[in-house]
Amino acid sequence: MKPLLIGLLVFVAIAVALHGEYVFFTPKGSFTAEVSLENSALPRLPIYRNAITSLEVVGAYAVGGTSSRPGLSPYLFAVSLSTRKLEFVRDLNELIPGQRAIQSGFGRGQQGVLFAGTMPDQAGGSGHLLQIRVGKEGIEAVDLGTPIKGEGVFALAASRGREELYGIAHPSGRFFVHELRTSRTQVFPETAASRKQLELLANYALTPSDFLTRRLVVDREGRVFGSMPVNRLFRFDPGSRRVDVLSDELPEVWGRRPLGRVDAWAQGPDGMLYGGNAGDGQLFRLDPNTGRVTNLGKPIMMPRIKGLAFGADGTLYGVAGGEPGYTHLFLYDPADRGFVDLGNPRFPMTAPGIEQGIAWRGFQIGSMAASEDGKWIVLGEEEALSHLMVFPALE
Amino acid sequence: MVSVRVLLLVMLGVSVPATLQAAEITHKNLRFVEYPDFPEAHSTWGSIGYSKVHRKVFVGVTNHRDRVGLFEYDVTTERMRLCGFVPDLANLRAFQWQGKVHSQIVEGPGGAMYFTTDGGESREEYLMDHPHGYSGGFVMKWDPAVNRLTNLGLGLQYESIKDLQVDPTTGLICLVTYPQVRFLAYEPSNNDLRDLGRLGSDHVPRVMFSDWWGNVYYVDWRQRLVKYDSEQRRLLFARESLPAFPGTPGEYIVTGITAYAVDRQAGVIYLVTYGAKMLAFRPSKEGLGPVEDLGGIFDAPGQPPWRYYCPNLALGSNGKLYYFIGGHGMYAVKGENIALMEFDPKTRSKRIVLTTPLKEISEVTGSDVRDPAGNIYFAGRRDDPDAAERGESGASRPFMIILNPQRSLR
Repeated sequence: MKPLLIGLLVFVAIAVALHGEYVFFTPKGSFTAEVSLENSALPRLPIYRNAITSLEVVGAYAVGGTSSRPGLSPYLFAVSLSTRKLEFVRDLNELIPGQRAIQSGFGRGQQGVLFAGTMPDQAGGSGHLLQIRVGKEGIEAVDLGTPIKGEGVFALAASRGREELYGIAHPSGRFFVHELRTSRTQVFPETAASRKQLELLANYALTPSDFLTRRLVVDREGRVFGSMPVNRLFRFDPGSRRVDVLSDELPEVWGRRPLGRVDAWAQGPDGMLYGGNAGDGQLFRLDPNTGRVTNLGKPIMMPRIKGLAFGADGTLYGVAGGEPGYTHLFLYDPADRGFVDLGNPRFPMTAPGIEQGIAWRGFQIGSMAASEDGKWIVLGEEEALSHLMVFPALE
Repeated sequence: MVSVRVLLLVMLGVSVPATLQAAEITHKNLRFVEYPDFPEAHSTWGSIGYSKVHRKVFVGVTNHRDRVGLFEYDVTTERMRLCGFVPDLANLRAFQWQGKVHSQIVEGPGGAMYFTTDGGESREEYLMDHPHGYSGGFVMKWDPAVNRLTNLGLGLQYESIKDLQVDPTTGLICLVTYPQVRFLAYEPSNNDLRDLGRLGSDHVPRVMFSDWWGNVYYVDWRQRLVKYDSEQRRLLFARESLPAFPGTPGEYIVTGITAYAVDRQAGVIYLVTYGAKMLAFRPSKEGLGPVEDLGGIFDAPGQPPWRYYCPNLALGSNGKLYYFIGGHGMYAVKGENIALMEFDPKTRSKRIVLTTPLKEISEVTGSDVRDPAGNIYFAGRRDDPDAAERGESGASRPFMIILNPQRSLR
């Protein structure tokens, strides 16, 4: 079935190419859940506080964490994949004032628990760790405190077995381990940029938000992987409590090493790690045991791969590109067709007041997740008024 | 006394012999003006505006590929003149090619005319952010006093700019981009460009309009009015969507407003929606203001009431609204004719004034472009098979339409 569907996609792509145009990727069953709307009686997120920068699917809910513009605070929200609408909203300002973003990504704990980190609104402020549960009663969020005073939480992952959270502090770039039982935080400076590296990065007008690893991933052995300046990958072994810098670097386009960092991770069915390099938008495969990096190429011309997720059939989906250009959804099929560019996704949106449905085209997509059964792929927009776009993964 | 009245009426009749009753509007009330010195001219896209200071109409005319001519029509001398081509006037490089001017041409402080540029064809639509695609649209300022075009810079990289409004007092410029429907606020005095975010769905509403306090209006994907409050420098969203016919498809809703006309004296801005509704909006200084549904722009038994295309509107000095229906494959009148309509907002009655075949008029754009003499100006196109090799979006030739509902122009 999978080759047939991929073949169909390729046929459509060829037919479109002959016309010099495109068709939109709008698979049957796809939909857009309206998440943001100003001045509405419906439960919706307000303008400038809703860029969906963290996304995970827990059971029947797509759970989002947002980023806001300066001076504003973010939200947690949950969209039901069965009712296809925004069900729950939680204003983070009511729990932890002074935070601007939940951009760390979610770490998955046991029994559907999620963890996230926050970025403070003011430079020099402190980020917090959050524990989140979503159920029929709504969103339960617990403030676990500040892991490193005066720093935000830029990226976060969770160990399911060890009750530990792993994070990257902003702006230093230091790696930290936070023990949930003791609330102790251990800091590892090895991942931070040296003074010389900071001078180099400053020459390219890059700030920590440009070069710190955007995501962390935990492999099957419980090891943690991320990137660090300049263009390097690191591995943390929770057993030995050691950070190792891998000898293989991130894939490079000549002259652009300073831009290299990991934008997104996904773990394949075979245990391999797949990453997106923000700098030039290469997809790469990392063997977590050997540290070997394989450059799989670029799905589109633009930099950034902000989201990766595997569907149930083992197809890898991703979102590439973005500001100042436009995001392309793509799939990667290593055994057959390689990259297939699906373009800007366009899924129907229906909601009270727009029951007839409107078409929603995703231009700026900043996060991606698969449902636990791999049947749904969920995309989070990064807009002034962002929505959640959902499509069924190919079977 | 009666004899004096009769005498005055007779004198009026003598001095204005061609004065016609509304029912008598004919082709004589129309005049067509060609654009000189641009043999490859293809079309116009709402790119028309009037300068009260200079008493001139300005039109952006395109070959729908890479050349946009700026024309001025002197209302006093009744002469049309090519001011120049935008790429030359603005020193654009080859990679900064522009497909058209899609925006209105709006008078700003001191009588300067402002407009924006647009990719407008396949190279933008499909190549997009590729180096062979589109670099982005610019904000331009034309000073008629000295015949100088100033490039005020790019809006957003890769994005066209579909429309703009300019505050005649402060010079604040509001813009909307394509394809992302991003609302921008630009203050030329300090070169401050703010991106207020994406407001629309996948089809960009083409028209912005202003009130008399300098606030600018647009719509979101639910066809709710969005006001840029120029004092508070922020967006305000209406709670409810603009009226639409039951069953209006979503693609009509998201496309919003296609034309407007301002009745300052009555405090009303008339709006035509892509779903073919005529609305009366009464802006208020604070908040948004009420919207009154005046009904459809055309009635035809058995036809969906929303499916009439009207990217133009103007208020005549007789208090009636005038608009041409038809274009882009949607025609109200059998045989694919364009219909000139008259709409009385007081009685909500409407009628076909006249129809024309597509070889005379195939599409009309322009909002509320009029002079003190009661002349209304539209940017027109006519089907022209000879133009088939030029540009996309149909084989056409552009020309300017002058309508005076109360006076013969011939």
